[in-house]
Amino acid sequence: MFLQQLINGLAQGSLFALIAISFSLVWGLLRMVNFAMGEVYMLGAYAGWLVVAHLTPNLGVALLAGFAVGWAVGWIIEKVAFKAMRGVPHIASLVCTIGFSFFLKEVATWIFGAETKAMPSYYSQTAFTIAEANVSWLQVLMVAIAVTMMVALQVLFYRTRLGLAVRAVALDYRTASLMGMKVDKVTSLAFSLSGALVGFVGVLAAVYYNAVNPGMGFVAGLKGFTAAVFGGITSIPGAILGGYLLGAIENLSVQFVSSGYRDLVSYLILIIFLLFRPNGILGKKTKL
Amino acid sequence: MPNKWTALIGTVLVSGCLGAWADAPTIHIALTTPITGDYAEYGVNFKRSVEMGIDEINAKGGVLGRKFVLSVGDSKGDPKESATLAQKWVSDPTVFAEIGDFTSSCCMASQPIYNRAGMIQLSPTASATKFTPGSKWSFSIVGPQIYEQPVMADLAKNKLKLKTIAVLFINNDWGMDTQKYFKEDFEKQGGKVTATESFFQGDKDFTAVLTKLKQSKPDALFIATMYNDAAMISQQREKMGWNLPVLGPSSLYSTQLMALGGSSVNGLYTDVSFFTKDPDPRIQAYVTGFQKRYNATPNFHAALAYDSIYILADAIRRAGSLDKNAVRDALAATKNFKGQTGSITFTPERDAIKSYKVVQVVNGDFQLLK
Repeated sequence: MFLQQLINGLAQGSLFALIAISFSLVWGLLRMVNFAMGEVYMLGAYAGWLVVAHLTPNLGVALLAGFAVGWAVGWIIEKVAFKAMRGVPHIASLVCTIGFSFFLKEVATWIFGAETKAMPSYYSQTAFTIAEANVSWLQVLMVAIAVTMMVALQVLFYRTRLGLAVRAVALDYRTASLMGMKVDKVTSLAFSLSGALVGFVGVLAAVYYNAVNPGMGFVAGLKGFTAAVFGGITSIPGAILGGYLLGAIENLSVQFVSSGYRDLVSYLILIIFLLFRPNGILGKKTKL
Repeated sequence: MPNKWTALIGTVLVSGCLGAWADAPTIHIALTTPITGDYAEYGVNFKRSVEMGIDEINAKGGVLGRKFVLSVGDSKGDPKESATLAQKWVSDPTVFAEIGDFTSSCCMASQPIYNRAGMIQLSPTASATKFTPGSKWSFSIVGPQIYEQPVMADLAKNKLKLKTIAVLFINNDWGMDTQKYFKEDFEKQGGKVTATESFFQGDKDFTAVLTKLKQSKPDALFIATMYNDAAMISQQREKMGWNLPVLGPSSLYSTQLMALGGSSVNGLYTDVSFFTKDPDPRIQAYVTGFQKRYNATPNFHAALAYDSIYILADAIRRAGSLDKNAVRDALAATKNFKGQTGSITFTPERDAIKSYKVVQVVNGDFQLLK
């Protein structure tokens, strides 16, 4: 049973992990949290749904649409909530992203209607069966995507000039700009990238759960943020680890405690863990 | 210049007077319903049905020679908002009665405000057993779970001959009530509940909880949820390769169940007091009217809201005046009102007892179970 529930938690963990990466990207750069991340995820899911329902049943195009919409929304959020508010206390940007979260949700309700839309299944055939748990190709794909994203971002940050620029801006944006780096461009890029990533994940989630609705981003965003903090928000491998661990803990607490106490147990574990290791699993100590 | 101004002011004054003059006496109804937020899709159906009912009644000349006018307030499914709206309605002297809210929790939060003001609070859907006994101004027409669940328990035990059942419910006032009364009745009939698990509003992943329920090896699964959660649960259950009979309450009755659940909801049983394929011409008139107007098929919640405005109009007509106490008494005395959701008679506690038919999803469509 233990193994079966672990495998059940895998797909959920992949989603948490990918959202967590997006949080890490923004935190790593600006030491800020974008609380509208869940809503960007939801808009990405709607973009994917629009493609599948009205254009072509090609999943690749749908994922691309989610990526593009996420990129655009991420870009807008950065321009309004962060760039326009640079120099004022950080709390203003934070509250602004909370504002975006409600705003985007209601805009989606207004455009698409409040009712849940159906998303068709892809790759839902069973790939293999472990411990009586059917693992579908989609679940395999989700894990593969999470790992690929992690590797790709690590390469981007530690092996390219652009990555070097991003890290320099993250370290000290004033000095970086004095050194002639285009701080605005780098920030904007990282924000758009995090939006694109989470929009892409929104399409994956819509396919996995066969549903899209305006409220789908709230819980997803919160859990993704939790996973990021759990894994150590400064680290991208940490975000992945945090996502999978959170998925596993949630599923195991349903199995061994009770579904009614699932969140109670998982977040109790999280709080206790953070008491002993406040920087998360792989997080480094950072001076703020 | 002065001429222009005089002309303008004159026009405004004259049109203002004419406007007031043309205003025939009306009956102002307030509708409290979630238009945004997580419950929006249910609330939107309330608005559609009530607007449609009011237009129909007004087209026939209204009630007591007066036409209905409607104000809609968005409670967002939040009890605090619902109470704020209640304050707004009771402080407006033109508002005669209120229809709403969607959830029991919202209705109960605003109940004391309507009670103090002496305003009718008619909820189409609040089914918590504690709601209507709380105030003599509160009415509900959905029928509480304590009367509905014996029907499902009887179906499970006596018609489908199920011995054991596992229960999955949404963790809120309504879900708690529904699973409690179902289990009580099923066990009273000699059935056995193998496991009970719950989930939270907004949950999308049910594999863990389904895996756990599966281990208890039940003959069937009872799901006390709304139709969209039920569709997701069914999809995930099918992917797990767990096939067994599934039953649930009347909240599952919506074409959205099939739209979202596809083949995975085939064979599912539910009970209804409103059935779109009922040959009764009154019901057909509503269903086709709704489809024509909104390009959607009315579900159970929509039909209940439609009944609410008609039952209120009927009570005003019988009271013969717009005295709030007289209308309340007339509403409480409603007997065998022929609604879309069956014949409605209020209990002394102002809840409605409904009669239910059992339906099953066959090839993507609801069919009456013989």
